[in-house]
Amino acid sequence: MTSVTNSQREHDPDLAHLRLLHLADSALPIGALAHSFGLESLAACGLLTPAGVSEFLRGYTEEAGVMETVFCREAFRLAGPNALASERWVEINQRLTALKLARESRGGSAALGQHFLSAVLGLGEFPLVRDALAAARQAQSVVHHSPSFGLVAGALGLDEERAVLAYLHQSLASLVSACQRLLPIGQSEATRILWNLKPALIDAAARSRVTTIDDVCCFMPLLDWGAMEHPALTTRLFIS
Amino acid sequence: MACAQQTEIGPAADTASRVEASLDLDFEFDHAAGRTVLAASRQQTPLKVVRAFALEDGSALAHLHNVSGGLLGGDRLALRVQVGAGASAQLTTTGATRIYRARELAADAVQSNHISVGENALLEYVPDPIVPFAGARFRQQTTIQLASGAGLFWWEILAPGREARGELFAYDRMELKTDIWTPERLIASERVRLEPRLHALSSLARLGDYRYWATFYICRVAADPKLWATAEERLREVAASVSPPGETRWGISTLAADGLVVRCLSRQGRWVLAGLREIWTAAKSLLYGREAIPPRKVN
Repeated sequence: MTSVTNSQREHDPDLAHLRLLHLADSALPIGALAHSFGLESLAACGLLTPAGVSEFLRGYTEEAGVMETVFCREAFRLAGPNALASERWVEINQRLTALKLARESRGGSAALGQHFLSAVLGLGEFPLVRDALAAARQAQSVVHHSPSFGLVAGALGLDEERAVLAYLHQSLASLVSACQRLLPIGQSEATRILWNLKPALIDAAARSRVTTIDDVCCFMPLLDWGAMEHPALTTRLFIS
Repeated sequence: MACAQQTEIGPAADTASRVEASLDLDFEFDHAAGRTVLAASRQQTPLKVVRAFALEDGSALAHLHNVSGGLLGGDRLALRVQVGAGASAQLTTTGATRIYRARELAADAVQSNHISVGENALLEYVPDPIVPFAGARFRQQTTIQLASGAGLFWWEILAPGREARGELFAYDRMELKTDIWTPERLIASERVRLEPRLHALSSLARLGDYRYWATFYICRVAADPKLWATAEERLREVAASVSPPGETRWGISTLAADGLVVRCLSRQGRWVLAGLREIWTAAKSLLYGREAIPPRKVN
């Protein structure tokens, strides 16, 4: 029986797949379940109801899903064999900061990005990730979740398409979870919602493949309103 | 990301019956007169500014006029505005910006806006709504560069169409892109594309059952950062009182730096302009310690 060295394992596609599942797991301790990104306000004022969750999330995936995935891909492609293109990494994150007009959503995305990269550094030695955090710190820039996920996936040599789908899936799963806590939606119904939206995730990933960060668009004014109004809620379950 | 890249919109697909025109306006502070003047303007039909009017606070007010009544498919219009150091200018429109139905083979109607606000200068851009007709296709790219100490009040309102004749979201495509830069960085970037036939605007993720949508940027570069938190709270209180609950939703948020954004969704257009004006007045008072002076047409 031949033993497999750790070095050989690094190129094992099964290991890559397991790592992707791990990074996209809602149990990864980055605080993803503490944010509703404006959903809490929509539910509090009665606009978001259990019957409307699925359709809302479909629209969300078509807009924010595509936008975040474009940034995820852009960062994924920075993680080549060469040193990190620090300037571009910072620029990607600053561009995303400017696109996120609602303060709490912007802060939530940045908190998840920072926690995600820190969590990855706690799992092993990843010079590219360390450089990414250092570059952002030096430029006084935040790091957002979607490009952070893409960068790490690229650094681990994962498949780009699988990585962006995993990112989209875990984002949507977090929002479904938020809906469960905000609305009377049972576990079975939540599972059904997430199951039925998988084709929408594939469509979003496909659209992001032919879109650049210069021409990506996102129109979600009602969710923006929800995120902007969130600080004014008297009772809050979520940070955003 | 240290400086603004002016995005040029690519060439039109066809050249038949299209209008290509620009309007350049340079506002300067006239030290002798103690007020802002329209120092230079270069105008190409159909874009026109008749003259600038002096406002009581020393600002200059100009009405932007499109003598052809609106934008047709294939039109390519460019607005360039420079507000010199220490100057204060206000721009408005003479009426709604109408985007007419585009012929089947016509290119999109295109508007590009390049705006520069100098050191300690102020620009207030308070236009009427954009009204897209059935079958309209429109692309707008706005790049705003703010120098140190520069201020900005900039709103845009998108109507659902010619509401009175029951024409709601019957346009083909509206694409609005806005970037606001300070010397340090990009502080706000908006990229929206509305294609009602492809993606339902009635989705709760988009407009829900609201019809009008507006965005209002309020900026002053290098103002005390603590001011923005106070302003966000104060303007949220103002916004809560400017329209009946449920009819209109107002969201207020600080930007990444140097400003605030106001989001508005409304079932009826009449609440939008009135509400924006109230918020403008309150914000001007907070940031500049003086009243906003609405252009005479909305008095």
